[in-house]
Amino acid sequence: MTLLKPSVGKALGWASLGALVVLALFGLWGAPPDRVQSDAQRLMYLHVPAAWIAYLAFIVTAVGSALWLWKRTRSPVWDRVAGASAELGVLFTGLTLLLGSLWGRPVWGVWWAWDARLVTTAVLFFLYLGYLALRRVPGTPEARARRSAIAALIAFADVPIVHFSVTWWRTLHQKATVFDPELKAHIHGVMAFTLWWGVLAFTLLYVYLLDRRYRLECLEEGFEERELQRAIDERVSGAPNDPRVEVGAAR
Amino acid sequence: MRFAGYVIAGWTITGAVFLAYWIRLVRRTRRAERLDPEA
Repeated sequence: MTLLKPSVGKALGWASLGALVVLALFGLWGAPPDRVQSDAQRLMYLHVPAAWIAYLAFIVTAVGSALWLWKRTRSPVWDRVAGASAELGVLFTGLTLLLGSLWGRPVWGVWWAWDARLVTTAVLFFLYLGYLALRRVPGTPEARARRSAIAALIAFADVPIVHFSVTWWRTLHQKATVFDPELKAHIHGVMAFTLWWGVLAFTLLYVYLLDRRYRLECLEEGFEERELQRAIDERVSGAPNDPRVEVGAAR
Repeated sequence: MRFAGYVIAGWTITGAVFLAYWIRLVRRTRRAERLDPEA
């Protein structure tokens, strides 16, 4: 009922914790302060990995949804993976927005700006909140999986819009830096290490939490199905405790 | 440290969010396991 072997999942949990502790040591003390932004730049080591892992989570949700919709690969596993990953995507997107706001205040002078990157990211957050709400709407497992998969693929259209928003529009948010070949950004060795370590730590944490959330999805789904079957069986056999059955029988 | 308030708040919030989510996951899983001992 898990994606990983229990021992691997447990080891991943400890590895994530260790990686996050190392990230905190480097992010808060090991890496030097930025020449322009000073220590405020230390929020980059959380903000950037959180944003990238949110993208990863929504890519996994989209792939899982597509694999469920495609009849040849249809399996409840993909629906569960999509749902679990979307919840983590919302978590990391919320964190990205919060950390961005905390970083923006000392650097831009504002907590929030109606900037294309910020607005499209907020839209992404609310789109996937809607997706999670849709997953809770009652229905047969198949109907629920179908409508969720379609909604996930529609919501995914916002991911490239968020990514390219800094290129398509004039924004307060800085343009792509790390992957811009023309910019040739030179990042201080320890700063670059800390950033990439942050990406590694958040990736480990994402995989660990995805595995745990998948297990919970399986448990809750199985329980719901058994409860539904029990209720149907009771109704069919005319359970004496059900007042509706008694009223029906009196008529 | 300059802007210490923002930096510390950011790191603390991140840690708290991860911890709260993990605790919620563990609690929900344990409850689901209790309700469904067959699993």
